[in-house]
Amino acid sequence: MAGRFTRRLQKELLDLQRSPPTGVKLEDNTTRLDQWRIHLTGADGSLYAGEHFVLRFRFGNNYPMEAPEVVFEGPNIPMHGHIYSNGHICLNVLYNEWSPALSVQSICLSLLSMLSSSPEKSWPPDNDTYVRRAIASPKQTSWAFHDDTV
Amino acid sequence: MKVRVKNWSAVAVWRWKVDDDTCGICRMAFDGCCTDCRLPGDECPLVWGQCKHCFHMHCILKWVHSPNANQLCPMCRQEWKF
Repeated sequence: MAGRFTRRLQKELLDLQRSPPTGVKLEDNTTRLDQWRIHLTGADGSLYAGEHFVLRFRFGNNYPMEAPEVVFEGPNIPMHGHIYSNGHICLNVLYNEWSPALSVQSICLSLLSMLSSSPEKSWPPDNDTYVRRAIASPKQTSWAFHDDTV
Repeated sequence: MKVRVKNWSAVAVWRWKVDDDTCGICRMAFDGCCTDCRLPGDECPLVWGQCKHCFHMHCILKWVHSPNANQLCPMCRQEWKF
C-alpha cells in the first residue's frame, strides 16, 4: 500500500497499540497496513457486557478521503438491530456520512456505543432478505438510514 | 572597552497562528506539512473555512474534490467555504 496517507495509518496503528481505548484491542499479529482486525469487548452494564467481537477494517489507497470497509467477522456477530448476521453494519458514518476527521478509533467507539444503547438483542427485521442478496462489501450496498435512536 | 561588531547572524522561529496542533485530515502537525509536501511553510499553507476550522490547504482541497465529500467541512459538516 503506497497511498500518500500511509503515514496517517501508521500513526493510527501506533496510537492504537500504545493507548487503546477501553474495550478496543488491535490484533497482536497485525502485519498488513491495509487490513486490520480489532477486538471489541462489550461495555459493562450493556447487553453485550464481556462479549468479544472481531471487526475487520480494510483501507483503500484513498483513505481517509474514503471510508474504510468495516465488518464484523468470525463466529460471534453481535445480535443488534443495525448489524446483519453476515457482519455488515448499518451505520451512516461508514458510508455516506464518512469524514476524514473520523478515525479507526472513533469508529470503534461509535460501534461500542451503538451496542451499549441497544435495548434488545435481535437482528434487523430485513436480515434474511439482506443477507441473501448482499454482496461481499457493504460499501456497495445502498443504505437507508432511518433510526437515530440506537 | 570598545566592542566592534564584525558580523552577526539572525535566527528566527515561526509558527502558524492556529489553536490546534494537528491537521484533522492527515494528522500531521500544522507546523509541519501535509503528507504530500516535504517542507513546511508557504509551500504548504493552512486555510480556514468560514466555519473557522483549519486544515492544510492541500488536505482540504483533496477532500472537497473527492466524490464523497458533499462539500462539507470534515469537522462540523457545515458547507465548506473558503
